[in-house]
Amino acid sequence: MPGLVVETLIPGYLGVMLRQLPDGVIIITGTNGKTTTTKMVVELLQANGKRVLTNPTGSNLTRGIISSVSQQARRGGKLPFDIAVFELDEAYARQFTDVVKPRYVLGLNASRDQLDRFGEVDKVAELISETMLSATTAIITNADDKRLSTAVATAKAPIVYFGVSPALLKYFPRDDELVAVDAQTPLLQASNLSAEVELVAFKDENATYRIGQKQTNARLQVTGQHNFQNAAAALALVRTILPNLEPTKLVGQLSMVRPAFGRGQAFKLKNGSNLQLNLVKNPASFRQGLASYVRPNTTIMVAINDRIADSRDMSWLWDVDFTSLQGHEVALTTGVRAVDMALRLQYDNITAKTVEPDTDAALKVFCKLPGDKVVFASYTAMLHVHAQLTRKAGTQL
Amino acid sequence: MKLHIVHIYPNEMNTYGDRGNLLVLEKRAAWHGLEPVIHYYHAGDTFPKDADLILGGGGQDSAQSDIQADILQIGHKLHALVDTGVPMLMVCGTYQLFGNRFVTLTGEQIQGIGIFDVETVGGPKRLIGNTAVETNEFGTLYGFENHSGKTRLGTNQQPLGNVTRGNGNNGEDRTEGARTNNAIGTYLHGPLLPNNPQLADSLLTLAMQCKGTELVLKSLDDSLADQSRKNAMTRRY
Repeated sequence: MPGLVVETLIPGYLGVMLRQLPDGVIIITGTNGKTTTTKMVVELLQANGKRVLTNPTGSNLTRGIISSVSQQARRGGKLPFDIAVFELDEAYARQFTDVVKPRYVLGLNASRDQLDRFGEVDKVAELISETMLSATTAIITNADDKRLSTAVATAKAPIVYFGVSPALLKYFPRDDELVAVDAQTPLLQASNLSAEVELVAFKDENATYRIGQKQTNARLQVTGQHNFQNAAAALALVRTILPNLEPTKLVGQLSMVRPAFGRGQAFKLKNGSNLQLNLVKNPASFRQGLASYVRPNTTIMVAINDRIADSRDMSWLWDVDFTSLQGHEVALTTGVRAVDMALRLQYDNITAKTVEPDTDAALKVFCKLPGDKVVFASYTAMLHVHAQLTRKAGTQL
Repeated sequence: MKLHIVHIYPNEMNTYGDRGNLLVLEKRAAWHGLEPVIHYYHAGDTFPKDADLILGGGGQDSAQSDIQADILQIGHKLHALVDTGVPMLMVCGTYQLFGNRFVTLTGEQIQGIGIFDVETVGGPKRLIGNTAVETNEFGTLYGFENHSGKTRLGTNQQPLGNVTRGNGNNGEDRTEGARTNNAIGTYLHGPLLPNNPQLADSLLTLAMQCKGTELVLKSLDDSLADQSRKNAMTRRY
């Protein structure tokens, strides 16, 4: 039954239904990484014998959650699960936590994102922190994100931190560092909070984590350095729920998790080449995407739309530094804002070879090109490209 | 010839791609044969001796109160530069601080430096959307507004232009921005200059004029900006 109908007909439905879960409800929120982290947490809990209720990728509003609950419930209203793990949109989390008190909340990061929706970064951080403070058992958050760690410092529930080692901080710029123009302000100070799980090192698909006192290596299937950081968050959360899990075993289970929908997902095309599809939502995620997916011979397409889910304002593209693409081939820009994207690149001395607003036409040309390819796409453009790729252009790796 | 561009409070006032305006000025200056030199001015610094063009961006409310004390310190300097005709582009938060005062939603009064005879009052609703502004000197400007402050112009304050789409200063009198000598205040993000290269070139020309030199503009390939402006003509708010 669609969420909206249930919500109107039976107020309180969600609270009643979810209170029957013996291990309670977990919420994952933050600007970037919600979907991938939720997927990791769900699969780690499942690998350890939990029956996990979750919301399908991207349906991260209360309504989407009501839909999943009502679809999964048995006749008589029983939910055959131990625990629920939901990713929640920052702006709608409050609506949910007013009805259902989560046991654990994971707040990943706060960064400038869809400012035509949120107004400012401080507001984004406030929404995420409010959600974290609703946790009854524990808060899990990012030791390196000062806006978040400061906001929850006085929480009643215990706080568990995840983080990256000081040597890696430069790869994970915080919001203020994304747009800082010069080195005069020393922003990159390591946090003095002690992280339960820390990303210690990474190279290609290999990552090293310190979990508690123990250091463990993993070869991951999720791609992108940002997802290695998200994995630290997932490990910290799962360790908090199941403290007796052995770190090596846990990391082994993590290595089985594959990329989430359109988040560094790889496709094999008919001409034998590989294409990686990567969602870019805001300056932080675009920057991480460029750092992770552009290799020396990668051919690039950028697809940018301007619906509400994409950000209607193109300002954010100017907070992304594209100079790392100089010398690479940007074969196409596409989407409603194909021209604006090409204009952005022009000012970093990069020429988009073709500007083709029609995404289907652009993708058709792009897929025929030889060699490794990556598509960076805003939210609705990513959905579009994903649908086209799964329909005809190739098979998912 | 050198062109000294001063970007004020770049770490605090930079919310909506304001870096783009600086990048456009820097690149176009070089393309027109000038040698751009960028100076970042942070609170507490000595104000750069050479300042041919000054740029400020939008900030969060919290950042605005952080830099307020500092901007009051350099206010007399900025006034003197405005009087000599130095061009300035102040977007959103810095536009408000260049006015007489900003009264926040909670009633807090933030005093500005009064280069523009305007007063801003925080509103409960953000005005957000694609905006078009007709100006006498710079043609149509396309941008994206995103502000909750409502700004009213004093009796003799000249606006930057009039909105043909969007809300502009306050959503009521159709004015957008302010202009005092060659200083411009505006709510237009997008950022403003990439989509309005004619304004960027005017700022460069004015800056050189102020130094006593005439800038001969080269013909640049602005076909992408032209196309983007064409698309912006019919975009909904």
